Amino acid sequence: MTFRLRPGKKGLELRLHGLEATIMDVVWGKQLSSFAVGDVLAILEKQRDIAYTTVMTTVTRLYEKGILERERDGKRYLYSPKLSREEFLQSTAREVLDEAVGGHQAMAMLAEKVSEASAGELDDLEALIQKRREELDA
Amino acid sequence: MIEATFPLLGTAFVVLIVLPAFALLAKAGLVMLERDEVGGPLHGLNLRYVLLTGSSALPVAWLLSAGLHQAETGKSALACLLDHDTAELCFEPGFFALMLAGAILASSIGVIRRHRGVRASSSDAARTLLQRVARITSSDPVLAGLGDRVVVTDDDGFALGTHGLLKPRVFVGTAFAERLSDEMLASALGHEAEHVRALDPLRYLILQLALAVNPFGRFMLEPHAARWQAAREAHCDREAVILGAAPLPLADAIVRAARPGAREVVALGARDTAVLKFRIGMLLAFSERAPARCCHQGPSAFPVAFVLLLIALLLPHQTGTAALDVLHTGAEHALTYFWR
Repeated sequence: MTFRLRPGKKGLELRLHGLEATIMDVVWGKQLSSFAVGDVLAILEKQRDIAYTTVMTTVTRLYEKGILERERDGKRYLYSPKLSREEFLQSTAREVLDEAVGGHQAMAMLAEKVSEASAGELDDLEALIQKRREELDA
Repeated sequence: MIEATFPLLGTAFVVLIVLPAFALLAKAGLVMLERDEVGGPLHGLNLRYVLLTGSSALPVAWLLSAGLHQAETGKSALACLLDHDTAELCFEPGFFALMLAGAILASSIGVIRRHRGVRASSSDAARTLLQRVARITSSDPVLAGLGDRVVVTDDDGFALGTHGLLKPRVFVGTAFAERLSDEMLASALGHEAEHVRALDPLRYLILQLALAVNPFGRFMLEPHAARWQAAREAHCDREAVILGAAPLPLADAIVRAARPGAREVVALGARDTAVLKFRIGMLLAFSERAPARCCHQGPSAFPVAFVLLLIALLLPHQTGTAALDVLHTGAEHALTYFWR
């Protein structure tokens, strides 16, 4: 998962746009381990006027960003969160990819907590470099 | 009151109050600089460095200089050196300054030890690697200057790094270099070339010494120092790419240097996970769009720091108020000039 950090934002919104953060807040808050777009819509409709297509588009975007995973259930998809809220926030604090020379959030994360990279993390980075190399070659 | 009271109180005042107070002021400046949204993490590196080191260097320089100026006659240390008639008056201040310098050196000895280089090798593998490096550096005009500055070592635990204070050299481990393609090695040398050009081993040593001599204030500055060093490594990546290094091979080399097992844990500056990810992310971005030179470094920071250091060293040796008068009128003229 790679994200662009959003200057001036905190918490979930550091990496997620407004509605994305709201939906993930609902998913984690209501502990929805498996849900359809309609389930989230039903909860959000109690809070504000919102269209089904808006929620569907945002949920799809969350899936494309790798925050949700999904499986087909007849004509619809059932979604589930890949990470718990804690895991997501922890990864946000460590994740500064794609923030080339960004704002002070990236700076605050730089070397705030020194920990040597594990072999798994280094494997992931190598895979990421290889993937970018293939994308550029293609 | 015994004669030793004043020097001891003076030292205690500097160590317990002045150094932590300067660290606090430096921290305030660093926080403001780091919050700068426009420049990002690579902004104001020189200015941040001067704040980090100057906050210790200025009080310590003043203390040492004042220690040399404890002669009863009020004469400066220069008089002690030139005029043998006053030699007996100069023993105590000289001894006191020596004690101070000794204490500072003792607190710094661990830092200096960490900056020792590694042993060069002349095995067949080392000679082969040197030939390979020579071929790479001779074909790249940017790396050509590194030709005689590359040293090869068979130390299995050593990956790649720059050592040497006044004449830095790039040390390359034979085992590590075998795992790199020519393109990766060339990019890694490009990164180290920037360290060599900027005398970074000396800068890093001074930074660590500045923190070491401030026992009660360094905790405030250590996170900023770590961030500065991380940003400096990222800056070297950026410079290397600007001067022609390939970003993805450099990213690959950095990740390989970070593999566990290397004694040189800071090889290519790759140590902390978050910093590593930041640098790799930056290089991935550079592979799509070549970087331009960025970030205001604070070009006047070093000259200003030098002048302040000179003032801290000379001020205790002024017997009259002439120096303060000059400072006063100089400041007035400067203010008039800028406000005009």
